[in-house]
Amino acid sequence: MSASGAGAGAGPPPSGGTGGLRYPSNKKTIYDRNLNRSKNAELSRAAFAYLFVEMISYAQRRVRGIADLEKRLNTQGYPLGLRLLDLLLHRSPTSTSSPSPQRPTRILPLLQFIAQTLWRHLFSRPADALERSEADAGQYMLFDNEPLVNQYISLPREMSQLNCAAFVAGIIEGVCDGAGFATEGVSAHSVGLEEAGAAGTEGEKKVKPMWPDRTVFLIKFKPEVLEREEILGRSGG
Amino acid sequence: MSYLFTILSPTDTPLYTHEFGTSRSSGDGIPRFSAAERALNPFILHSSLDIVEEVQWGPSSTSGSAPMYLKHIDKYQYNYISCWITGANVRFLLLTRPRDEALGLTSGGAGVAGGSKGSLAGGRGALGGAAGLYNPTNPATEEAVKNFFVDVYEVWVKTVMNPFFRVGNGDVVKSPVFRARVAAAAKKFL
Repeated sequence: MSASGAGAGAGPPPSGGTGGLRYPSNKKTIYDRNLNRSKNAELSRAAFAYLFVEMISYAQRRVRGIADLEKRLNTQGYPLGLRLLDLLLHRSPTSTSSPSPQRPTRILPLLQFIAQTLWRHLFSRPADALERSEADAGQYMLFDNEPLVNQYISLPREMSQLNCAAFVAGIIEGVCDGAGFATEGVSAHSVGLEEAGAAGTEGEKKVKPMWPDRTVFLIKFKPEVLEREEILGRSGG
Repeated sequence: MSYLFTILSPTDTPLYTHEFGTSRSSGDGIPRFSAAERALNPFILHSSLDIVEEVQWGPSSTSGSAPMYLKHIDKYQYNYISCWITGANVRFLLLTRPRDEALGLTSGGAGVAGGSKGSLAGGRGALGGAAGLYNPTNPATEEAVKNFFVDVYEVWVKTVMNPFFRVGNGDVVKSPVFRARVAAAAKKFL
C-alpha cells in the first residue's frame, strides 16, 4: 500500500492504495461480487411494475408521438441487452469439448440464445415461438403470449397502438447489436386481438382471444449480416 | 518476456492498457520494451485487428458458435499477438515479446564460445538450441494465455455490469481494482 494517498480522512482508509477511490461501507467493490450468484436474485413483480411505470412516465415527458415514445423505451432497454449478452455468455455452462466460453456466430444460435437463455433470465420461462418471416428472409419474429412487462398496463383508447414491450425490444436489439448482428431495428407489436379477429370472421362474431396480450417482436437484420450468414453457410462452418 | 495487454472497444478505441513482464522462471514482472518498441506496439496491435475480423466468424462449430479465445492470431517481427473476443465484440489483445535468447537472436545463452563471430555462427548456435525457443502455438503457452484471458474476462464482465460504464462511449477503465486484478492474473499465469 503506497502512502501517496493525498485524501487523508473521509471514511475508511482505502485498501487499494490510491486516494480518491471510495469503497462501499462493506468494503466490497463490484469486483468482489460473484457473477454466478443467481439464486434469490428475483425481483418482486410489484417492485418491477412500479419501476417500469415510472420509466414509462419518464419517457413520456415531452414526447411527440407513440413512435417517439416507443423509441425512448427502446433506448432504455438497449444498454441492458449489451450487458446481459456478456453476463449470460459468461454464465453459460462450458462443456468439456468446448472449455472456453462460446459466442454465437450465426443468426439461429443467436436467436435461440435470446428466446431461451435471455428469456429465462428475464422472465423465468422461454419465449413462446420463434419464426422466420415468409415475406422477408432477413426478418424474424419472436412471440411472447403474455409479456410480463405489459401485465399491469392498460392502454387508453387513443394510444392503442402503443406496446410497452418496446423496452424488451430494446433489450433484444442490444443483444443482437452487441453480438455483431446489426439490426435495422427491433419493434414490438400487439397481435393478440388481430389474430382472434381473423379467426372470428368465419364463425361467431366475437371470439375472446386466447392471448389478448400476445406480442410479436420483429427483428430485421441488416443486409450485410445476411450476406455474411450466407458466406458462412456456404463454407459449411 | 515482455507483454502488452490492451482492451479495445468494438469501435477500436483502446479502453485499457497494461504493460508487464513475465513472472515465470524468476522473472521480475517488469516489461523490457525498448523506447522504439514501446512506440511501435500500439500500431502492431491495431494492425492485428484486421486479422481478428477475419478469424472471428469462423470456423464455427456445428452449433453455430465459436470460442471466445482465438489463440495466437498474428506475428509482427518478434511480436506475437493473442486474442480473446467477448460476446459483445470487445477485443482483448495480448502482445508477447519474448526475450532475445528465447528467439535465438543471441547465442550466448547456451555458452557457445563463437557467439560474437557473426550472424551465421549465431544462427547456427540458435538452431542448436531450438528446444528453448519461444513457440506461440505450444499447448502450454496457449493454455497459460487462455487462463489469463479467462480471469480478465470475468473482471471485465463485472466492469461492464456497472450501469455507469458504457463501452459504446469509449469509457476508459480507470478502476485501480481492475488493474490490480489484471496484474494478479498476469503474475499468476504469464
